[in-house]
Amino acid sequence: MSSRRSRSRRPSSSRITDDQIIDLVSKLQALLPEARRRSTDRGSAAKVLQDTCNYIRSLHQEMDGLSERLAELLATTDTTSDQAAIIRSLLM
Amino acid sequence: MISSSSSSSAPSSSSASASRIKLRPGPPTQARNKWRTGAQERIYGRRLVEALRSSRAGRSAAAGGARAVKEAADSALALTARGQSRWSRAILFGRFRRRKLLLKAGGKVRRRRRARPAGKFAALPHPPAALKGKKVRDRLRVLARLVPGCRKLSAPSLLEEAADYLAALEMQVKAMRTLADALSAAALSPPSPPPPAAAAPEPEN
Repeated sequence: MSSRRSRSRRPSSSRITDDQIIDLVSKLQALLPEARRRSTDRGSAAKVLQDTCNYIRSLHQEMDGLSERLAELLATTDTTSDQAAIIRSLLM
Repeated sequence: MISSSSSSSAPSSSSASASRIKLRPGPPTQARNKWRTGAQERIYGRRLVEALRSSRAGRSAAAGGARAVKEAADSALALTARGQSRWSRAILFGRFRRRKLLLKAGGKVRRRRRARPAGKFAALPHPPAALKGKKVRDRLRVLARLVPGCRKLSAPSLLEEAADYLAALEMQVKAMRTLADALSAAALSPPSPPPPAAAAPEPEN
């Protein structure tokens, strides 16, 4: 049928082996903050995914808080020359 | 025939890259290293400042300003990613689409999540055994909602995007925190004698 004929994608999807997935999951786990505490072999995929979601959510929340903070700072700080100096020193 | 060939480059590239995963040496590890370099943070910082400056050109209200700051930060992050990842492209193009819709609708704002008809994606490739089970599938779905532009990706591509997005977010948070700390420290400390009327007296290096 058409699924077998011109779709080169289909056969490639079966080439995604378990090992590759396990590899990706473990690398994702390595990015999480808990990875440093635990031994490397803790991750069931479900747990790693859950930790990832939680971590991304917490990063989003941090971002929201920082955005508010920055907005206030930028609004209240009057002297733009001070700001420019700070920013320049950070960027160099 | 038509559907398979016209299913844009997106699905074929995502599953093609998935099949090529073995050849590339550990993308998620590279993701963290890529985003951790000081160079990336400086590039991002510069973009962030540009975006902030252009967005706050007349806006001083802190309430509306927070969202503007966040959007500026996200756009800057997506730009720093140079559109190499799906989530960064989703952020960049998401802005344009919304603007265009607003202009067209002329007041009626419609949020169309599905820009593409669902028919192009026949079905996601079946995840291998390691990812079966309801729990895993549910969490994959949640993850797909969190990472921009990744709702219909196959599992391996989603994992890759998530790793890159996560590393990028970490860098973003770090950069913004540094900026906020520096600005608030300056605001709290007694104003050091401001540079004499000649703005920016320090020699430009």
